[in-house]
Amino acid sequence: MNVALLLLVLEDALWSALAATGFAMLFNVPVRTLPGCAILGAVGHAARTLLMQMGMSIEAGTLAGATLVGFLGLVFARRWKTPSSVYTLSGAIPMVPGALAYRTMIGLLKLAEAAPDAAALMLADVSVSAIKTGLILGAIAVGIAAPSLLFFRQRPLA
Amino acid sequence: MFYNQPAGTTKPPLDREALRDVIDLALWAGQLLLQYGAESERIEQTIHRLGTALGCDWMDILVSPNVIAVTTISGDEFRTKIRRVIGLNVNLTIISAINRLSRRVEAGELDRFGVRKELDRISKIRSHYNRWLVVTMVGLACASFSRLFGGDAAVFAVTFFAAAVAMVVRQELSRRYFNQFLVVIVTAFVAGVLASAADLLNLSSQPETALAASVLLLVPGVALINAAEDLITGHMVTGVVRGIVGSIISLSIALGLLLAISLMGVRGL
Repeated sequence: MNVALLLLVLEDALWSALAATGFAMLFNVPVRTLPGCAILGAVGHAARTLLMQMGMSIEAGTLAGATLVGFLGLVFARRWKTPSSVYTLSGAIPMVPGALAYRTMIGLLKLAEAAPDAAALMLADVSVSAIKTGLILGAIAVGIAAPSLLFFRQRPLA
Repeated sequence: MFYNQPAGTTKPPLDREALRDVIDLALWAGQLLLQYGAESERIEQTIHRLGTALGCDWMDILVSPNVIAVTTISGDEFRTKIRRVIGLNVNLTIISAINRLSRRVEAGELDRFGVRKELDRISKIRSHYNRWLVVTMVGLACASFSRLFGGDAAVFAVTFFAAAVAMVVRQELSRRYFNQFLVVIVTAFVAGVLASAADLLNLSSQPETALAASVLLLVPGVALINAAEDLITGHMVTGVVRGIVGSIISLSIALGLLLAISLMGVRGL
């Protein structure tokens, strides 16, 4: 691995950790879980950035990053006796396609006043961001639910 | 006998009084979970674990976006009750505390009266973090996102300031019970106007990054993740509704931001 890539990933991890910590406080996580939330935020997003640098798509990278967050969240949950969602929700926040989500909506609103010939192109743009938002969100959910989907299956309550 | 009762149950049947107590406690726990941002699967499992640990043979649970309905069953007796639930902010300490409570009940450490005391304590948990600490950290979080989007130091500073002020606006409006979508529109507008400084004062070569990052504090991340998780685990109704709420909030962010962009006459996203 070359040095430039390593530096890029480390910087990415630093900012992601800060972002995850800020949102963890907004979600009022127990104080003792803050370091865990920061670590998961850093690991998940940095893993995604690394994979994307190696040529993976953002959707597949998110799935990999979120799966890592899901399993590490389980380890942290056992270690500190807290439900894993405290860690996984905070840790997944840096990967949530927030900007993409409201860009989709801005595109939709702009469609209302678009000229007819430009509208087709804009509509295509909006659709692509909407699909990407959905896929990335799905990847996050599948990833952080991976441990319970694969190993901790329960009989349905019915 | 009920068709869904586990075969060969040996629990002593509860009387009507005890059933009433159990259903009340189970609903209270479920209400706290739904209010503070738990996913539907967790709510169902926790209510079930709590009720059966307190002596019921079986619990039937319906979690819908703003109502929980529970039937407790013990022997030949049953009781049903519904509770209306209004979603509030995400509070993971409360969710964590309820989780621990249900495990303690299962281990036999707490009876009905102990559970009531504990739930009373949990429902009074407030934020661990000082208001201004949250404002600062949320500002820093959004500023960090601007770095992840490739912004420079000037964008970082502008985003921090815009997001922190926006967070104060959001807290003040929420405290006065304004409609949640209105709060988001106004907050996004304020963040957008302040973040426009990066463009208007020529502080940076990529000023639109500040606009994009300074409204991220409003993104309904937990709602959207829970929506996807509910859909995967088969809770279709709550999943769809959470997804739509998340979309409307995203739309509100876009509205506020567009308003700010057109008012300030800056380059859009």
